[in-house]
Amino acid sequence: MSALLNNLNPSIKAIAVVIAVCLLTFVFDPFTPLIYGIVVILFTFLFGKVNWKLYIGYYLIICLLSIGMLWTSIAFADEPTNPEVTTQFLFWELPKENVTVALSLTLRMLTFAALSFMFIFTTNMVHFILSLMQQCKLPPKLAYGILAGYRFLPLMREELQQIRAAHQVRGVRRASGIKESIQQYKRYAIPLLAGAIRKAERTAVAMESKGFSGEKARIFYRQFRVTFIDWLFLSSMIMLLIIIVAISIKLGYFSWYKGQF
Amino acid sequence: MTNWRLKEIIVMAVLSVVFGIVYLAFLPVGKLLVSFMGPIGYDFIFGIWFIVSIIAAYILRKPGAAFLSETIAATVEMLLGNAMGPIIIITGMIQGLGAEAAFAATRYKRYSLWVLMLAGVGAAIFSFVWGYFRGGYAALSTPYVISMLIVRIISGAIISGVLGKAISDALAKTGVLSSFALGKQINKARSVS
Repeated sequence: MSALLNNLNPSIKAIAVVIAVCLLTFVFDPFTPLIYGIVVILFTFLFGKVNWKLYIGYYLIICLLSIGMLWTSIAFADEPTNPEVTTQFLFWELPKENVTVALSLTLRMLTFAALSFMFIFTTNMVHFILSLMQQCKLPPKLAYGILAGYRFLPLMREELQQIRAAHQVRGVRRASGIKESIQQYKRYAIPLLAGAIRKAERTAVAMESKGFSGEKARIFYRQFRVTFIDWLFLSSMIMLLIIIVAISIKLGYFSWYKGQF
Repeated sequence: MTNWRLKEIIVMAVLSVVFGIVYLAFLPVGKLLVSFMGPIGYDFIFGIWFIVSIIAAYILRKPGAAFLSETIAATVEMLLGNAMGPIIIITGMIQGLGAEAAFAATRYKRYSLWVLMLAGVGAAIFSFVWGYFRGGYAALSTPYVISMLIVRIISGAIISGVLGKAISDALAKTGVLSSFALGKQINKARSVS
């Protein structure tokens, strides 16, 4: 197991995933997403350093949800064009068309999840924002603003505890009933947001007083570059999809998005 | 970005990060509703996923606030673990554009409740068109799809428009927004009366 995926340029990795998802959106058969999903998971397994316990846990949740999705897309399916062509699905006799579409939607969702997990589990959030600024021309003002906002999250958790404690000290009793719990949400949310806005203002002043101008021509402590490996990864992700599509055309499984309106 | 003050950018970023978490927290709620009612379950609470663009635009009143805040919120949502992955950034951009369109139509001059509700409706329509192609709504029966659209539009107007305005006004009352467009407008109204 290597950490190749972890060391890729985060922007290129994101672009590769977005392109793959966009292409898959137009595929309407169960076979292609299934194979591609398996390939992506194998890819993550072979080339990534991932917290596997977390990965598997997350994926199981997605699988559970996808069963719900399978059910709803069969139950709420459009009128089939050939209702007489049926298939045995678990215990029911259902129109083949509906089952195929539902299966393809569900497997597609599972493949999307595999693709996005490949990205999330191998990418550091701060690196991603820095790379967006260096490779994708994200304005530094915005990038550092987002990083500052991200940094506020643990602080806000602390603040929430303080607000809760302050309420308790003053004898605010626990909410009971819908109306009171809405009131309670408001009592927490507004001070929390107000505190965050105050902090944001102070951070902006601090940044400006230390000479942050937001100019685009700046140097970086952590440099991100796009190398040959990044392009290789991008092209191999797309090539794999094309190869799988070619195989499924050959086997007669493939079905394109042809206006299933 | 040049006519934005750094203060405004950071406040927008912070709002987006906070609501990125709210967005993520509402996903299981949506999924629960979906498992009872089918895909339409999401549409009842879909307005929650546009709310930051309405709040940011209403507070800052700058071109691009709705679009940028929604995009950042979607990015944060992805980074914190949305299963949809980087594609959700594009979803966020499209929703943000929908809200932005409503503000642009008023040339960024009017921020009444109706305009905010219209922004929610705009985001709902844009997101529906996107969802139609990506989420495979095409496979659902037509009356069902139409009722999904109607429910989503109402949700966009009520949850993001009305609730978004209520949250922003409540924040303005605390005085933290005094150096931003919404706070200034309230202060002006107060000193006149």
